[in-house]
Parts: sequence; structure tokens; C-alpha cells
Amino acid sequence: MNNIGFKAGVEIHQQVDGHKLFCSCPCLVNDDNIPDVFVNRKLRVVSGETGRVDQAAAFEMQRDRKFVYQACSSSSCLVELDEEPPHAVNKHALEAALQVCLLLKCKIVRHVQFMRKTVVDGSNVSGFQRTALVGYDGVLQTSKGLVKIDSVCLEEESAKKVEDRGHEVIYRLDRLGVPLIEVATDASLQDGVHVQEVAGLIGMILRSTDKMRRGLGTIRQDINVSIHGHPRVELKGFQDLRSIPKTVEVEVKRQQESVKAGHIAGEVRKVNPDFSSTFLRPMPGADRMYPETDIPLVHLSDELLKSIVVPELLTEKALKLEKKFKLSPELAREVLDIPEFEKMTLTFNNIHPSIIVRTLAELPKELNTRFGIEPTTLKTSDFETIFKALNEKKIVQSAVIDIAYKLAKKEDFNFLDYEVMSDEDLERVVKEIVAQHKGAPFGALMGEVMRTLKGKGDGKKVADLVKKFS
Amino acid sequence: MVDVLQVEEVEIITKKGEQFKGILLPSPDPKIITIKLKSGYNINIDKKYATNIKKLGKITIPRQKREFTQDPSLPKIAILHTGGTVAAEVDYATGAVTTRFTPDELIGKFPELSSLVNIDSRLMSNMWSGDMRFAHYNKMAKEIELEIKKGVEGIIITHGTDTMHYTAAALSFMLQDLPIPIILVGSQRSSDRGSTDAFLNLVSAALFIVKTDFAGVALCMHENANDDDCIILPSLKSKKLHASRRDAFKAVNAKPIARVNYAENLVQMLVQDHKRRDRNAQLKLLMMDPLIKVGIVRAHPNLFAVELAAYKSFDGLIIEGTGLGHMSVSKIDDVTVENEKILLEVTKLAKKMPVVMTSQTVFGRVNMNIYSYGRKLQAAGVIGNYNDMTTETAFIKLAFLLSQKKSLEEIRVLMGENMHGELSKRILP
Repeated sequence: MNNIGFKAGVEIHQQVDGHKLFCSCPCLVNDDNIPDVFVNRKLRVVSGETGRVDQAAAFEMQRDRKFVYQACSSSSCLVELDEEPPHAVNKHALEAALQVCLLLKCKIVRHVQFMRKTVVDGSNVSGFQRTALVGYDGVLQTSKGLVKIDSVCLEEESAKKVEDRGHEVIYRLDRLGVPLIEVATDASLQDGVHVQEVAGLIGMILRSTDKMRRGLGTIRQDINVSIHGHPRVELKGFQDLRSIPKTVEVEVKRQQESVKAGHIAGEVRKVNPDFSSTFLRPMPGADRMYPETDIPLVHLSDELLKSIVVPELLTEKALKLEKKFKLSPELAREVLDIPEFEKMTLTFNNIHPSIIVRTLAELPKELNTRFGIEPTTLKTSDFETIFKALNEKKIVQSAVIDIAYKLAKKEDFNFLDYEVMSDEDLERVVKEIVAQHKGAPFGALMGEVMRTLKGKGDGKKVADLVKKFS
Repeated sequence: MVDVLQVEEVEIITKKGEQFKGILLPSPDPKIITIKLKSGYNINIDKKYATNIKKLGKITIPRQKREFTQDPSLPKIAILHTGGTVAAEVDYATGAVTTRFTPDELIGKFPELSSLVNIDSRLMSNMWSGDMRFAHYNKMAKEIELEIKKGVEGIIITHGTDTMHYTAAALSFMLQDLPIPIILVGSQRSSDRGSTDAFLNLVSAALFIVKTDFAGVALCMHENANDDDCIILPSLKSKKLHASRRDAFKAVNAKPIARVNYAENLVQMLVQDHKRRDRNAQLKLLMMDPLIKVGIVRAHPNLFAVELAAYKSFDGLIIEGTGLGHMSVSKIDDVTVENEKILLEVTKLAKKMPVVMTSQTVFGRVNMNIYSYGRKLQAAGVIGNYNDMTTETAFIKLAFLLSQKKSLEEIRVLMGENMHGELSKRILP
């Protein structure tokens, strides 16, 4: 892609868990309480520190819109409503940002200064987003060589748009102020596939700190793309990293056509599910930054920096687990999300670790698809009940789903009902069923036997017997 | 007209060999060099680590500055700035906090003003309201007199919010027979941010001046957290009741004067008995004496007599009592001997100077007849029974009366009389 002057970089935004960046409100993104605070506001355009009004800000000003903020007092206080100045910076989030800096081998800023980045689309009640540069000049190892990390910033999440009525936009404030770590690469990424790889790697590094929020919407990727003769375009709103290569390809074509037509513009665009994108707003410039005078400089002492632990990368951790417990790479990755795994392998040492992972990871999903049971219904104590029975060989693996169902539904059951059948009894049952269904195929016979046994016989043994007698 | 801003571009090389290029900015700390990087972020470098600072030359940034023609047929009002956040802007080229106060600059910032009024605007002082002294009130009064002589329809005074209600109270006593409205406007969110309340407070004050016949001093601030309604508050019966909210000011023991909705172009009068504009009224200035010393002491548990004795060389004292106007002045057991000393001290002070009771409950009226504490205080010479003034208003009124060289006897009478709306006969349920 070099002959067209292809340039691309990524900005990854990851939410930090705990409380908000400048107040003690919990990070209850998607607070499901009913909003109990409603505030109407307008925003005005102000000059940046060089005295110019930012282009993106001026664009919003023309619209003269009213913003309606809905808040739940469970997740927002006067700080989110811009009715109280910010408190001291959240140390936990700052530490998370420093860990990310260390993992990305960044140089660290010694006097962190929060800036106000002008945002007048209403998504920040104050009219600006607080953001600070924490690290710079880092490096990331990729399959296509080293990629430079331009910056690691610590900033505030914006409010979530609920409805846009044109003249009036409604926002919810639960997300506003949640700490966000932004990692930005330089523009040296070589193609869409490389962009996808880098986005994935940075995501993995961010999650390695153990301080991040997990789940849908907690990490977002913005991708900057340009070609010769076309200014930078920022693509936002990727649902899936796998859509990146195709989207980049479509954007490059769009830019080539724009250059030909002479209608080029640096802008922010929203990615559509069909890999195309639509105009969102003009590209904001550096003019929109000015110092946040309500927050003093945060001085990072040598002692503080020395006290920051470099976390183990998730990829390394997974590799270790793979070796230690003889797991497949897929299961090792599943284990990363199961904090109680190691303890359980020690307590239930008669069960193969891969069965423990599979049960912990897959059982809730299976209960959900088969019986519509919420995946969070099974508690650690329920798993322990099941593992204890397996460990003592009271039951076999095939009884687990039935017991799990009863545990989830809080139905009474007796382990004796699942007691493993003796080899003779097993043989007798198989013989009977095979005789009843003469000429039936293996699969049908297996199904019938397992239904009759209700988990009292080991699947492998049953299969051998069915083969033997049919 | 295009104004220009000159900034210095520099390159800094640190001991570790790092290079930073950007615009040199005023630093928040003398040991630190601050530069604005191309990304917009500021970076702060310890001076001791900067081995080489290379000046790359000055960059000239044109500053958009518009000129406005004002409509002379619109009502003429004066906007006098005393500081505060209403018109404040940081000039990042020099690090100085500047206030945009000329009519052009102000209309540049708030263009909506030019369709309402014809502005004459200037900077009177540029200060934090906490620094205000009586001498500043005197200067303000003279400037107001000057503007009234020029024939303005009304005056807006921009003011820091911390002591805005003290200033409003002082002007209410000092400006006798005021023919026009004088509205003090503050803001709780500085005008350098998109969410500033300065704009709405300012235009609402202008709208109030244009659309009503009110004369006198009042405040104009947000009525609540919404950017919808502003509220016009009585100068002598208002208080700052929140450290940071936009609706920090509330009327105390009185009703607000009016509600202003700028977007709807509506002014709703909430009182009918206000003073009306009178072109023939002859303004008379009564000045404050900057040397008058009035103290404020707050009653509290474990009070010591020395806290009162500290005021013995003063000209007057306000006691912000508990509840109905109380202070610990009775010995009830072995550990309350100090209370007798307190009573003795109050008695001594009240012989020499007016000692006025207010209530730290903020809302409600002083009544020193209900409990023995109150009766003892009255017997000791403490005045102000039945008053419902805020401590701030009582302080200003006492200082004003002392400035007018009133005798202790006259002050005893006048503190109980309503001069300009500082006392309500009725507190509505």
C-alpha cells in the first residue's frame, strides 16, 4: 500500500474499573436505576489558549442545541453535573495508566498536567473532556516490526447519548467521568491487517493490568487513515476487530475517489456494519486543548514510579497455564478470565484441570442455550459442589449438566440418584436397549442408553458397550 | 480588525537527551518549564533537567477580533467590571489573567447582548471578590454616580460571587434615592468553559433591566441547575448558600424579585411592591468609612471569653448566635464557669459599641425572649432582637451606620428599623 502513501494509526480507549476519575462515584456504566436527576444545559464556544476557536467546536455552536442530562444519584454527583469542581485524581486509575506505560516501554511524564479538551457536542457537561498525557515514546512488538507508541493518556469518559431530537439531545451521565486510558500509536501501521493486529495487542496489554473494566463497550478503537493528497480521517465505532481490514480497505478507496473528485476533508467518520462510514464531524485540532486550572500538577516521584508493579502480560500468563496444566491454547485463554481456577485445581486434584476450565467456562453457557438460565446463576459454591462429587468419583462427567440444572433451579436432588452404575449393571442396561431397538444406528442407540442412564454411566464406557453388543 | 498574538517556539533538550518542541507557556511552577506540544498537550519539564533551551523564534497567531456596531435606539446600559469569572480570560501568551471588558470584546464574547441593549462597558477593578474592602465600595458608588449622570437606563456590575451579597448590601445603603436598576452579576463557572453560566446571567440581567420598571440594587444568578431561568434576588436578603452550584444564591426570609427566561424573552415579576424607576430621583451618595472596624463572632460549644475580648478595640460587633440568637452565658455546673466570663465580656463590649445578634441558622428571625440565654444577652446590651437579617447584611448595615457617625443610641434604634428592605416584617410560611 506504500505507493499510495498509506498511513494508519490506532487510538485505543479502555475504561478503568473502580470509581470515576475526579469524584468518588462508582463506575456504574449502564446504571439500571431510574434516572432521578434532570438538568437542561446549553454550551457556548470558548477560545482555546491560543485565542482561536476550534473548528470542531465552532461546528457544534452553529447548531445551538439544548442538552438534557439524565442522571442516577447512584452513579453521578455534582461533579458530573459540572456543579462542583473535580476532586483529586483517582490514584488507582493513574496507577493503571502507569502500568500500561511500563508495559509499552513508554517514557513517563514527571509532572502530569490535566488539560481541557473542548467538546461541545454535549457529551461532556462541562464542555470539555479532562485529559492528561502520562507516557510517550513507547514501543510495541508486532509481526511486522516495531510500532511506536506516541502517547498514553488518562482521561474522562463522555456521557452516553440516549436520544438526538435535533434541537435537543438527551444524555445519560452514568458513564461520564469513568477513567479512560488512551493508547495512541504513530501512523506507521502498514495495512488493515496490521491495524487489526496492533489493536488486538494493545487491548491485551491494557487488560493485563487487571484494573480494567471488562465486557461490551469497555474498550473502543479509533483508527486514523490517510493516503497521499488526503488529510487524516478518524474512523470510530468498530464493533469487532475483525471488521478492521475490510473497513480500512473501503476507506482507502473512498479517499482515492475523494482525491480524484477534489472533495477532500479531514474528518471524523462513523463506521457502518457494511464496512462503509458516514460523516460525524470535522476533525478537531490542537486548538481545543487548554489547561485544566482546577487540578494542580500531579508530581510523580521516583518512589511512586518504583512502586508500580509491571504486570505479567496475559499472553505470557496463558502460555504458562498452558504448560503447567497441559491445556490447549484456547482453554488457557479461558482460564485467564477465571480467577478461582488455580485454587480449584489444588482442591479437586483428581479432576483434570481441563475439565475444571471447561466446566467453569462452558457450563453456564450450556445452561443458557439449553434451558435459558442466566449465565451468572451458578455460583462458585455450586461449582464446588459439582467438583467435589466428581473428585470423589460419586458421579461421572455426563451427570454434571443435570445436577447443574437442579442447582441453578434450586431443586432438591440426591447424589445417590446419579451414583455411578457398576460395570455389570451398565452391561445389562446396554444389552436390554440394544435388544429392544434391533438394527438401530449407533448414534440413536447411544442417545437412548444415555437418556435411560441419566448420567449414571460414563460416556466412553457406554460407547464401547454399545459397539460391542449392537 | 485583526489582533495578533505572539508566542515563542522553543526546543528543549533534557539531560537524558529527550527533545521537546513546542510553544513556551507560562508555567504553573517556577521550577518547571511548560511547553505546549503540537498535539495540544502541555508538557512540564524540570528546569534542572533541561540542559538546552533553544529559542526557535516567535510565531504570530492572528486573533479574530470583530467590531460591532451598536444600535443607539436600544436602551443604554453600563457594564462595570470588578473582576470575577464573568468576563475573565487567560492570556496564554503572557500568562496574565485578562478581563475582556471593552464593549467590543464583551459583545464579541456575548453577541446576543447587542440585540438587547446599547452597551457602555469598562473595567473598574480586576479583583477576587474576597479582596473587597469598604474603599472599593466607595469607588464603585462614585462610578455608578458617574454613569447615572450620563443617563444610563441601568447598570450591570460583574462581581466575584464570594462576597457579591456584601457588595449588594453595601450599595443598597450607600446609594440613596437610586433612580435606576443596578444588577450584580456573578458566575459560578468561568467564562472560559463551554458550560459557563456567565452568559445567561449577564443577558438575563440585561433583559430584566430592559423589560421592567424596577429601581434599586439586586443580584442576578441561575435559579437552579438548568440553563433556563435566572432569578433576580433582593440585595439585602440574599446569601451564597452553596460553594459551587450555579444556583448558589438564594433569597433568605424574603421572596425573589423576578424570574427571567432569556430564551422565551420573558420576565415574571414575583413581587409587586418594588421601588420603581424615577428619572427625577436625585441620587445621594453616603460613603463607607474604610477605617470602621466591625467584627463577626460565631457562637459555638466550648466558647472562650477571649474570643470576644479580641474585639474590644472594634467599633461594632455582630454575634452570629445559635438558634433564636443564643450564646453560652450561663453557669450551669462546674465545667461552665467560662460562660460567666463570656457574659461579662459581652456586657463590657456592649457598653462601648453596638453588639448585634444574628442567627447562624440562616433562615428565621432572632428572638431573644424565649430562653433565659436570650434574655441575659439582651440585659447585657445585645441588640437586634426580632431582626431577620443575614449576618452579612447585619454586618454591612452596622458598618454603614457607624460610617455615618451614628451614636450608639441611634444605632440601637436604627438596627431595628427597616431602612431599605433589610428587615422583613413578615416571613411568609
